[in-house]
Amino acid sequence: MRKYLARRAVYAAVTLLGVSLSIFVILRILPGDPLVAILGVEGHARMTPTDRVRIMADLGLSAPLPVQYAHWLGDIGAGRLGKSFFRGDTVAELIAHRGPISAEIAVLALIVSWLVGLPVGILSAFKPNSMPDGLARAISVLFIAIPGFWLGMLIVLALLFWFGYKAPIVIVQLWQDPWRNVQIVIGPGLVLGLAQGAYIARMSRSCLLEVIGEDFVRTARAKGLREGLVVLRHALPNALLPVITISGVLLGFVLGGSVAVEQAFGVPGLGRALVTAVIERDIIVVQNLVLLYAVIFVVVNVFVDLSYAWLDPRIRYG
Amino acid sequence: MAVRAARPPATGLREASPTSSVLSELARFSRRNTLAALGGVAGMLIIVVALAAPLLAPYDPLKADFRHMNKPPNAEHLLGTDQVGRDTLSRVIYGARTSLFVAFSAVVLGTTVGSLWGVACGYLRGRFDLVSQRIMEILQSFPDLILAMAISMAIGTGLQAVILAIAITRIPFGGRVIRSVALSVREMPYVEAGRASGGSALRIMLFHVLPQCLAPYLVLATAHLGAAIVIEAALGFLGVGVPPPTPTWGNMLADSITALVPPWWLAFFPGLAITVTVLAFNLLGDGIRDTLDPRLSPAFLRMMAGGRRG
Repeated sequence: MRKYLARRAVYAAVTLLGVSLSIFVILRILPGDPLVAILGVEGHARMTPTDRVRIMADLGLSAPLPVQYAHWLGDIGAGRLGKSFFRGDTVAELIAHRGPISAEIAVLALIVSWLVGLPVGILSAFKPNSMPDGLARAISVLFIAIPGFWLGMLIVLALLFWFGYKAPIVIVQLWQDPWRNVQIVIGPGLVLGLAQGAYIARMSRSCLLEVIGEDFVRTARAKGLREGLVVLRHALPNALLPVITISGVLLGFVLGGSVAVEQAFGVPGLGRALVTAVIERDIIVVQNLVLLYAVIFVVVNVFVDLSYAWLDPRIRYG
Repeated sequence: MAVRAARPPATGLREASPTSSVLSELARFSRRNTLAALGGVAGMLIIVVALAAPLLAPYDPLKADFRHMNKPPNAEHLLGTDQVGRDTLSRVIYGARTSLFVAFSAVVLGTTVGSLWGVACGYLRGRFDLVSQRIMEILQSFPDLILAMAISMAIGTGLQAVILAIAITRIPFGGRVIRSVALSVREMPYVEAGRASGGSALRIMLFHVLPQCLAPYLVLATAHLGAAIVIEAALGFLGVGVPPPTPTWGNMLADSITALVPPWWLAFFPGLAITVTVLAFNLLGDGIRDTLDPRLSPAFLRMMAGGRRG
């Protein structure tokens, strides 16, 4: 197990290094002068050439690219994430202030997806091709197709219409006022969770059906176990592994989707900070936030793999 | 008699004309997969609407009409008008054009590049494969939407930028699935025969391995159409997609929420168009997957799950 862990950690580290390099490459192929992008054409024209050189040097944008990249990695290692071009706050402050809300949304979405998806999947697998199964599958197909941000917009619109809902403007952290905080995160969490729940329901149904066809399940039935026990005790644990994996992959949808869903609900989370930065072409902020999202995605999937290896010894030694 | 018996058995080809065999094939497909057939028909309708947009749209999608601003659905404007009096129905119809064009181009581009890459990985193996797998892993380490946002920001907003951005997010899927197909195909006797008769690696990949990848390629491409449409819409919604005034379903939704109290018809219909389209293509994709390669489905899902197995 320890060897497996070490190998997985090294892989993840290499992947993350590649991730950081590709972010750097993507953002540095920006066509045109970054100063023009930041200041606009007029602002750029109004500056003297010496000012331009000084500001480029200040931003660390005039060094050769490999040096810039090395600096960036060094800064991350030292915990310095740089500053927004347009606002006073540092990226670290931005993350500390807005991160918790987005993290809550992601965790809530995960909880909702399992709470809804797994029971539905189990019920479907109990009586495949029955009416309830058909209904459950139809609903999950529908939820996979509905874009989360649109569902979010409709919910906000309905709340606005009937209850005079207003989008939260200020961030209320969980520890400041739990009730108001929950009001902020519950909408996005539910919307994202239901969409993921649809995938989980689908996956757990197909995996359960696959396992139910195996010999040991027939044996369990043959010795006279109740059907409920057969499915829940014998089949389910064996069917859960792929569901756990897909849950890790779905985190990518949650992280990406939350950016749009936060926008729909008007929640001032990390996703909205990223969108603002992308629109303003605030390179330093984009660079670090995109890296953060990728790091979270990779690290969570390492944990998914580890739990997988922990649950299924064949993988550890295979 | 002996000559007859020597014919290869079970080719499954009927002597009938090709069109009628395609038709009967289609009929069989729709009997078995009613939902998928429905999805296919709906998808075709949407494509026809997109192609015939200039004929079908009752108004010019870009023309503002200040006498009819913010009108709810009525007899003149079936789906109402927006803040500057543009007809919503016409914009949804023209939006289908942009959205489908972006999604189709992105999926074809991304899946094709990914598949060719995957064939090379699976056939050549060795160091090339190792490095390629790492690169695809890196591409898959980003949430799709976030990678697409970063890329489209870097290469500038515009139709091509959005297509390229979405295409890049599709590459690793093609790469992974087709690689595994190529890995198994390369061990087949006929490929070995090709090698033995002196075919170059390129020739064998192109003429012997690639044709075997057609079915999974089609499965992949249809399976990703829905995802591409959603990413395109999300980019438009976030204001980093195809820029206005070109109507896309995503930027129509973005437009609608700029109002203090968004008119419901502006928020509802473009989203409905996205949902119906994605639903249609997803159903069709599931049906094609089940038909072309029934063995694929569970394994396929797992492969889409990244195939991370230690």
